[in-house]
Amino acid sequence: MEIFDQIISTFSDFGNPKKRVFFGYLFLSVLIALVWLIVAKRMSLSKAFWKIFDKDIFFSKSSMADYKIFVINRIFTFFISPLLLTQVAIATAIYFALHSQSFIPAGVFSNVNIVLVIGLFTFTMFVVDDFSKYLVHRWMHRFPILWAIHKVHHSAETLTPVTVYRVHPLEGVLYSFRGVFAQGTTISIFFFLFGNVVDLYTIVGVNILVFVFHVTGSNLRHSHIDIRYWPWLERILISPAQHQLHHSVAEEHFDKNFGAALAIWDWLFGSLHLSETHKELEFGLDARERSSGYNLKTLYFQPLLDIRKILIRRIRKFSSAVTSWFTSDSLNMH
Amino acid sequence: MIKNALKTSTILVAVTFAGSALAMDKNYGPYPVTLKDYSGEKTNTVSYSGQIARHVMEASLKSLAGKGDGTNADELEAQMLKYFNGSDEELAIIAPAGKDGFAIKQKTIQEISSSANLAGKIYDGAMTAWPGNLTGKEAALDIIAHAAASTKGYDADLGYDWGQVLSKYLIGAVAYHQAVDNYLDEKMTAYNKPNNKPYKDGAHYTGKEHSWDEAFGYWGGPAHTTSLDPNQLYNVSKRKDFESADKNGDGVVDLKSEFVFSPAYYAAGADKGGTKSTSYAQNIMNAFLDGRAVITEAAGEALNADQLAAVQGYAATIEENWEKVLAEAVFKYAGSVYKDITKLGELSSEDEKKEYFRTYAKHWGELKGFSMALQTGKNNLGKTAVEMNKLIGFGPVTMDLTYVTGVDADGKFVKDAWMNWSDYQLNMLQVQKLMVDTFNVASKTNDVTADLAAFADKLSADQNAETD
Repeated sequence: MEIFDQIISTFSDFGNPKKRVFFGYLFLSVLIALVWLIVAKRMSLSKAFWKIFDKDIFFSKSSMADYKIFVINRIFTFFISPLLLTQVAIATAIYFALHSQSFIPAGVFSNVNIVLVIGLFTFTMFVVDDFSKYLVHRWMHRFPILWAIHKVHHSAETLTPVTVYRVHPLEGVLYSFRGVFAQGTTISIFFFLFGNVVDLYTIVGVNILVFVFHVTGSNLRHSHIDIRYWPWLERILISPAQHQLHHSVAEEHFDKNFGAALAIWDWLFGSLHLSETHKELEFGLDARERSSGYNLKTLYFQPLLDIRKILIRRIRKFSSAVTSWFTSDSLNMH
Repeated sequence: MIKNALKTSTILVAVTFAGSALAMDKNYGPYPVTLKDYSGEKTNTVSYSGQIARHVMEASLKSLAGKGDGTNADELEAQMLKYFNGSDEELAIIAPAGKDGFAIKQKTIQEISSSANLAGKIYDGAMTAWPGNLTGKEAALDIIAHAAASTKGYDADLGYDWGQVLSKYLIGAVAYHQAVDNYLDEKMTAYNKPNNKPYKDGAHYTGKEHSWDEAFGYWGGPAHTTSLDPNQLYNVSKRKDFESADKNGDGVVDLKSEFVFSPAYYAAGADKGGTKSTSYAQNIMNAFLDGRAVITEAAGEALNADQLAAVQGYAATIEENWEKVLAEAVFKYAGSVYKDITKLGELSSEDEKKEYFRTYAKHWGELKGFSMALQTGKNNLGKTAVEMNKLIGFGPVTMDLTYVTGVDADGKFVKDAWMNWSDYQLNMLQVQKLMVDTFNVASKTNDVTADLAAFADKLSADQNAETD
């Protein structure tokens, strides 16, 4: 019985509309992919169907590793999540802190129309959450220690919707911190300004804007279906093809398109790359990264070894700098 | 094996149900005379009329505190002091008075008890929560004098609602203090008021029996508390539920055994409000019943070590729950004050603000009174008390942002500091946090951060490690 419950809970994300891999969103993604292949790529229905369910992709060594990581990470989450800072604690702490400033009094906008408050909150929540995702994602590529962790995700050589779970457990922790801070801050500021009427417009329990993101094929970002948008739209929203380009091994695609739903952050901060036509993308990492597309031992332990190496290098560098400083100092004294 | 387990559990369930059914309708008294060499005619040892008289004095004082008109200070103070010091004259019961649909048996305090007073029973240790370096009793007298000199018990300039500060303080300083720091404390030790001797010469009850009954009287719950839910207890105290009050069906509510006085009323209030997760009223009542059963069963012998330990255990339960009830009240009114400040900020006209400030002052008075009450118990709250007193202050932040910081050489209140409304709101949040951290309050009525926390918790379920 317990094992049965465990299995159910492991795969519960597929039945949870708050998760990207909810079967309803997956089904809609298949429909969108079919329409794209038939209308834009002029394929027959059966060809399009087999293109979508390409067994070489879904049963590649890389994808098989994704599935295993999905299950293993559930066990990690089970043990780690109770240790993490809760959103309630963060939100309450910020709410307290907001009272110690005297420029804006608590509840200053509590007379504002409730529809407006909820609308504004729904929008702000989505934007803040999306921006924080962009920022953290950018850092994951920018800083060597973070990259050592994040490259597990980039080691995928084939992309499927489950690749979204192909992350090192440490990245899971960082992402949960991100979510807790972004949401905790937004919630507490809104409660402080608008009072207890703050709420979210939701569909099936999820922020209506996140819902739109999911029903319009968020799952196709990690897939081989290269749906592109018009260039003007790719400056506002990240298309599946743009995100696939983010996973490309080609050097010109490095450090581009960090955005989750919105492309405006990439556009604003110079990391935007529009999708390209007629270019077969190769996914994964180059050999210098000493990673693997499918070896689980490497995927879980290499990041730790890399971090250790980076830290040792840093410490040596620092101590040699300190030594040389002292040496030169003592020389001067003589 | 399974069959046996089933059998055992069925029996257990049956016993539990039977047990709880019995517990449902337990009455506090009558209890038989157990004193070994008693030869009188009395058959019931329960007696706590002095305590009931004190509850009535406290309620009447609250009512009197609002009777000032600015010109009758001396006369009103003299009258209030009669209810504080006790009097040979007959004192009318000003509150709780009978009304249509809620007839009350007694009309005067003397009908309840002939010699009760508050002055002799009030907590008289240091009361640092009140300005002027006073003892607990002196603080009460100071508040009485100010109430008498005020107009309708209210000082708009200082933000004091005298009736509220006084009555909430007295709930603690007399009833709570006497029960937990005296009758349930030193009088429940082996050599003090032993069970094989009368409480005092000529009494028909033993030392332990009467000490326990006195404590029960201070708690202020009716003898049939176990058959009432928190709403009924609350409504009896509000004189709205005659049926629930009139246990013996004689058409009048006997204040001596059928009414709900302040401590029990606030226990029921905490149970019926907030998170509805507490049962302070029944916890306290059951501990009183169980403790009395142990004493009665001792049949006039001195309590042995086990019996003594059991009784002390029940006393500890009562003390702990009662302390929490007061902490819940502090928590609740800190929330009210917080909300009132937000409301004051929303009002645009000065008249509206002035009018609403009266509500704010009332809630602050309740907060202050209960916070002082909390400091009169068995436990020295130490740092917690200091922190709470600093956060609440000697007086509320008033319309010009100043607040009372102390008294001058003539005993006049000094208002020479000021504080922002938002800083004072933060203080109220800190008070709530202090009550949770120190007393583990769980009912949490008017929890300012409850909605925020619930909402943050609801949304945190959406968190995931999805990575792009």
